[in-house]
Amino acid sequence: MSGNPVRVAVDQELCIGGGICEMLEPEVFELDDDVVISSVISDGLLPRNRAEVVVDRCPGQAIAIVEENLDKEL
Amino acid sequence: MLGTSDMTPTATVETPNVTDPSLYLQGIPHDRFAQLRAIGGLAWHPYEDGGFWAVTRHAEARYVSRNPELFSSAIGHTNLWDLEADALEARRSLIDTDAPDHTRLRRLVAGAFTPKNIRWWEQVVREITIELLDEFVVQGGGDWVDMVAAPMPIQVILTMLGVPVEDSDYLVELSNYLVEGTGDAQSIPPDAFGNTTELRLLPFNSPASHALFEYGEGMRQQRRDEPQDDLVGHLVQAESEGERFSLSEYRNMFHLLVFAGNETTRTALSHGAMALAANPHEWQRVLDDPSMIESATEEILRWATPVMHMRRTATSDTELAGTEIAEGDKVVMWYASANRDEAVFEDPFRFDVGRADNEHFAFGGGGPHLCLGAFLARLEVTVLLEEMAKRSLCLEQTSEPVRARSNFVHGVLSVGMQPRSAR
Repeated sequence: MSGNPVRVAVDQELCIGGGICEMLEPEVFELDDDVVISSVISDGLLPRNRAEVVVDRCPGQAIAIVEENLDKEL
Repeated sequence: MLGTSDMTPTATVETPNVTDPSLYLQGIPHDRFAQLRAIGGLAWHPYEDGGFWAVTRHAEARYVSRNPELFSSAIGHTNLWDLEADALEARRSLIDTDAPDHTRLRRLVAGAFTPKNIRWWEQVVREITIELLDEFVVQGGGDWVDMVAAPMPIQVILTMLGVPVEDSDYLVELSNYLVEGTGDAQSIPPDAFGNTTELRLLPFNSPASHALFEYGEGMRQQRRDEPQDDLVGHLVQAESEGERFSLSEYRNMFHLLVFAGNETTRTALSHGAMALAANPHEWQRVLDDPSMIESATEEILRWATPVMHMRRTATSDTELAGTEIAEGDKVVMWYASANRDEAVFEDPFRFDVGRADNEHFAFGGGGPHLCLGAFLARLEVTVLLEEMAKRSLCLEQTSEPVRARSNFVHGVLSVGMQPRSAR
């Protein structure tokens, strides 16, 4: 149901502060209130299917899957 | 300078014209867009200064929108016609920039419009909506645009900005002139509102832009004398620090927030009311099951397509739908067409409040220019539907809509509605 875990990261140069990542995955992403840039606040692990949704929905195209095939099951 | 496009006797002669603003007085020319979608590859559309590629299908509009390195917002203009360099510079806003300028400008305002922070405004939106809706019912109806669709979003955005809500009517009036400026017939002279600037240097070539700039300048001086913790105050502080936000950028940002923050949602609420009145059984589905309000909101946004197109310019030779695109070519994403693309939306001309997987382009096709106010607009439509549902309020349309003469904004100037109780 969850998909294999992958690790996501934010390219802070590209982040436009849309806040969609924070809405979709509040445990993983948080926008800084002052500079309005997203950061990963957890270990960055998400099931692949959910990671793909965040990657797709990010308007700045700032989120990427940076590590795949992690053998740990979420 | 807008409008008519001479059909030249070339291979493109059969391309149906979709730019003539007068076409839109009868609504979006969907039959013409359907013809364009059916053409293999992309259709070249003649236009006064050389023509553009008409991107009318969902898949290619999505691709163009999400590849800003290939399809620039900063070259030429984001409307159909090119601007001279000085005009482009004077009018440059969030809309007409690429990274890194776009990123810098967007971050200045993005914080106020994140999903998390927009939720904070829900109560404000609700109070404004309740007051307008109650008055609409007490009066037994009237002009929906005047009574509900226009005042609700302008009052909300002015509250967020920190601009006096008493000025709503004036700012809606200016917005109406700006909409005219996107068409080919303006009802006010070039020197209206004391304007002395050449029209080509003003957004939408409209003297109303001068008036809105002046109004924004007044707000800037007020905030400089008396700082406030609101959106205008935040922008004025950034401008006063000088380095990351110029005075010209402030003027254009203020203009954009006021105009786009009211006109677009007004359009969505107007088309939404018309769709609900024309499809009473669809509204009944929502009344029977209010959990459908979320999908109904998205369907209203798809149905309305408040902004009907945006243009990009190719930064290098490339290919799209098997068609060669040359560096410098204009590429126009017709959201109005993509939102009825039969390849993506089942039965696209059916208004279906339960539509699933509704990836509409009411806020653009994705990528960095995704509508800044998307979550605010969603909240406004949602709250209106919730308050209508609480009252079991049904709408009956009592007059034909008067539509904007524009190929850019899908505006409704007036439409009669009266309340009708649910059966």
